[in-house]
Amino acid sequence: MNLTYLRIDLLRQVREVGNIAFIIGLPVVIYLVFGSGAEHSEEMVGRGNIQFYVMVSMAVYGASVATTSIGGMAAVELVQGWGRQLALTPMTPAAYVATKVLIALIVAAGAVAAVFVAGLLTDAQATSTTIWISAAILAWLLSGIFALFGLAVAQTFRSESSVTIASAGLVLLAFLGNLFVPLSGAILDIARFTPMYGYSGLAHWPQLHGKLIAADDETGSDPMWALILNFVAWSVIFGLISVWAVRRGRRRQ
Amino acid sequence: MRISALRKEYPGRGGHQPVVAVDGIDVEIAEGGIVAFLGPNGAGKTTTLDIALGLVPATSGTVEVLGTTPRRAVVSGKVSAVLQTGGLLRDLSVGETVRAVAALHHADARVDDVVRRAGLERLADRKVGKCSGGEQQRLRFALALLPDPQLLILDEPTAGMDAGARREFWDTMHAETSQGRTVVFATHYLEEAQAYAPRTILIVRGRIRADSPTDQLRAMVGERTLTANLPEDGRDEALTRLRAMPGVRDVRLEGERVRIEGSASDDIALVLLSELGARDLEVSAPSLESAFFALTEEGRDA
Repeated sequence: MNLTYLRIDLLRQVREVGNIAFIIGLPVVIYLVFGSGAEHSEEMVGRGNIQFYVMVSMAVYGASVATTSIGGMAAVELVQGWGRQLALTPMTPAAYVATKVLIALIVAAGAVAAVFVAGLLTDAQATSTTIWISAAILAWLLSGIFALFGLAVAQTFRSESSVTIASAGLVLLAFLGNLFVPLSGAILDIARFTPMYGYSGLAHWPQLHGKLIAADDETGSDPMWALILNFVAWSVIFGLISVWAVRRGRRRQ
Repeated sequence: MRISALRKEYPGRGGHQPVVAVDGIDVEIAEGGIVAFLGPNGAGKTTTLDIALGLVPATSGTVEVLGTTPRRAVVSGKVSAVLQTGGLLRDLSVGETVRAVAALHHADARVDDVVRRAGLERLADRKVGKCSGGEQQRLRFALALLPDPQLLILDEPTAGMDAGARREFWDTMHAETSQGRTVVFATHYLEEAQAYAPRTILIVRGRIRADSPTDQLRAMVGERTLTANLPEDGRDEALTRLRAMPGVRDVRLEGERVRIEGSASDDIALVLLSELGARDLEVSAPSLESAFFALTEEGRDA
């Protein structure tokens, strides 16, 4: 890992002020509209209230938007030939991917922090501080998987608009990841195999311990091993595609 | 650098035959020299250099760079390159770009020196996207100098530059190569090979068609083709007269027009117009393609 390179690249991303404001601002707005503003928001589920639950969901969504877009921009860089320039240095494809994931995590930290601060200011409640802290850390760190997702998707479509494609795909995955509305029935059965499901379930774990919130009061739950398996499997898949993508980026385009 | 029996095929698309980009190249380049890879677009120059830099794998054959594999040579900083299609990040400044790549080479201490040598001091704060093509090329050149390489590979370094920028680029280059670096560059400008490389390797359709001191190419470039209409009266005598002139290599009659190839084009033109009553005179320099063609023919005869 090269810190000077990381710092220069991070600064470059942060200069895209509009993009950063969108990444950090949108989840906060959704939280304020559907979390703190909604009915039953004070009702307790597991070890926190509904508002806390929506806050974690939006932190997960915001962190994934951040990491997906950084990952997607990395693919655009490669398409533009920067990968060839880097291939003339000692940097390995794996180190490039790792650097991008780290940059993505730094931006994601901003997104998670913004939603959690909004939560603190609007009566999101959990039964202990540990739940706050562990939910924030899980929502933040596990979002690294979506840096790989962004890189993998954008490299597959290989155009300037690929970041948009990745972000649009992310909305669908977020829906299947139980972030927008509680899923049930057949959709839930399918959703369990999609990439955001494990991450979402793990981030909500401190509050719900795998318990599902369903619209029709139907109760269900996911075991921790299933959520971890989902997360690890998708991380490996996106990781392999990403490293392959970087190698491919060394060719002439 | 030693390349032996190098071959590169790209898979054909939609059931087509695989495309052979490099079709058996053997080359040995000694340290300290300047060598040009000359060839038309699509000849396999860039592919050969890409393989020598470890950017793409060869289908078969071997490339040894400074006694090791291409990738190891790159990692150790012994070899670097200015790539034709090597992208730069448009939203980084020139200075940031140099510092970022320097950090990857652990060559932070060389940043100021390299920026000065590539003539980028006044551009340090400018965004790469706002730099001209020539300025971006100087930046790529600066990046290539960062690891202080023994072998410098330049892939069509002046493509897209105007004449002034081209000359400026080569002046900077020359100062660098006089310090004992080996330089291999690809170009499709015969003039560039002539001006800067004592040795030129001609690559056509993935194969080496000539590998010779560049001086030998010079004769080809000095030659002109003249065509003119000759009056019917005394045409045979005129042809005999032309064939006897010094510097004339070939005289042919094509319908009404005579076609003369040779080096003393001014003298030939004078004789044609003043003594032989020729009309509609045209003088043309050979295109690179016809020079290639002539060289290839020569190679076959030898």
